[in-house]
Amino acid sequence: MGDLVFASKLVKSFKNTVALGGITMSAGRGMNIVVGPNGAGKSTLLRCIGGLYRPDSGSVRVLGMDPYIEDDARRRVSLLSDNYALYDRLSVMDNLRFFGRLYGIGDSEIRKRSKTLLEKLGAYEYSERKAAELSRGTKQKVAICRALINNPDIILLDEPTAFLDAVSAEKVHLMLEGFAKEGRSVIYATQRLNEATRFDAALFVIKNGRLSNQIRTEDLYDETLKGSMVNIRTANRVDARIAKKTPHFDSANGRTIKLRVDGYRDINDAVSYLIGEGTYVVSIDYTEPVIEGMLGG
Amino acid sequence: MDFSKAYAIMVNDLTEIFSSRSIYLPMIAVPVFFAIALPLFTFYVSVFNITGVISRIFSTTDIAAASAISGGQFFMTYFSTYVLGPIFLTMPIFTAAVIAADSFAGEKERKTSEALLSTPVTNSELLTGKIMSSFVPALVMTVGIFFIYGSVTNALAYKAFGNYILPTAPWIMMILSAPFLSLVAIGVVVLVSAHVAGIKEAQQISSLIVMPVLIIPFTSILGIADLTVSFFIEIIAGLIVVDAAVIYFGIRSFRKEAIL
Repeated sequence: MGDLVFASKLVKSFKNTVALGGITMSAGRGMNIVVGPNGAGKSTLLRCIGGLYRPDSGSVRVLGMDPYIEDDARRRVSLLSDNYALYDRLSVMDNLRFFGRLYGIGDSEIRKRSKTLLEKLGAYEYSERKAAELSRGTKQKVAICRALINNPDIILLDEPTAFLDAVSAEKVHLMLEGFAKEGRSVIYATQRLNEATRFDAALFVIKNGRLSNQIRTEDLYDETLKGSMVNIRTANRVDARIAKKTPHFDSANGRTIKLRVDGYRDINDAVSYLIGEGTYVVSIDYTEPVIEGMLGG
Repeated sequence: MDFSKAYAIMVNDLTEIFSSRSIYLPMIAVPVFFAIALPLFTFYVSVFNITGVISRIFSTTDIAAASAISGGQFFMTYFSTYVLGPIFLTMPIFTAAVIAADSFAGEKERKTSEALLSTPVTNSELLTGKIMSSFVPALVMTVGIFFIYGSVTNALAYKAFGNYILPTAPWIMMILSAPFLSLVAIGVVVLVSAHVAGIKEAQQISSLIVMPVLIIPFTSILGIADLTVSFFIEIIAGLIVVDAAVIYFGIRSFRKEAIL
């Protein structure tokens, strides 16, 4: 898998605030998730990749080009920023037509693509409405359509489901997964790790403008659960003899069995054993928020 | 440079402006009102109140005497050309400044620039589109307003004196200077767009350019300057130099981040 996006020692500051403090990363085809808390530098990173900001030092290459200087680099890239970036006084279709024209797409093709995208996200009925009249969720859907109008190879999305309901968010997730499977590069910034882990993706964890961890989502639980304590709560009291035989057993207290695990497979083994012994498992609690700790800690 | 992209930016800006009645209506209605009211006032003074008002306005020149001799036609011609003309010459500046500020600083204020700048549009396409979206309506408005005030003046003059008094050569020269005045205003907006937070600031700064234009009628009334064709040729030549400098430095100093 060739890297479509490559950032090297990327530094970007705004007055006295260092937004990016020397990030080096590469993103290939498929899903790439940039995750981090508020103010970590996710949006700035996406804007540097999208060619909106000139880095103070370091470099960004998109398809081998500098996206800030080489305007052609942006032809195959699209950026959905954390605001809708729609012209409020224009209709949905006028917005899409305008952006389509800037990518050099003909009007009939823009109409065709707009219809397909709006229908996919359930917003076609609003195509003649002014953007100002739309709800936040509908604006977000239109903004996603706008970002996809050029059929991009590299899709940069900053919190794309922030204002969407669960059903619409899932539609967007499925659409993006489809793009990733087609071999495009989807770079998705979010601060919600549960959203990030939904994908089979490369995960870039950013904190204070620096890349603090890089991992595949499928390895995330193994990595973060290593040596962690997990409580399994059951509906019925478990016999002490049965409890002690639970794989990775540490201790038991009433209807709670404490385990020390090294990965999610260990939890599966323990739960399977307990169910096999006629126990009803009602919840699995992490004794410490191990995954969220990746972001905040 | 792909002119179709610059054209798309211009069309988009104009569609946005003219889709909001609260923006375009005052921009059109106020000048149209004055384009009708001021010639009416001039006509009234010329025909019904020659000696009183005229001698007070032109106390230091011989225009009052000339008006008295010609029965007001001289005053109407003079006032319509050398006072109303420069007043309406503020149109290309105001209109261009208002639209350019909305176009440049408005992108920043409404946060639409992120999507715009993430497209493959080049700086020159962006600037050309934005400049045209202010320049074209400013020019159309100015020509329209000069046409209205010229027509009203001529209709009234024909009724009172039996002949048309406009256009005069300096009056035509004023219209010809309008595009160059617009470009100064637009260039200043491009220059300040990097340093202002919103539309109002950009409008206020760029509107200051009307001050020198508003001095013109007073220089004429006080006899300091003679608003002849050659005077306007010199003004246009000066404006071309200023336009070139302002636009050059505006484009040179323009950074995409300025409207982010």
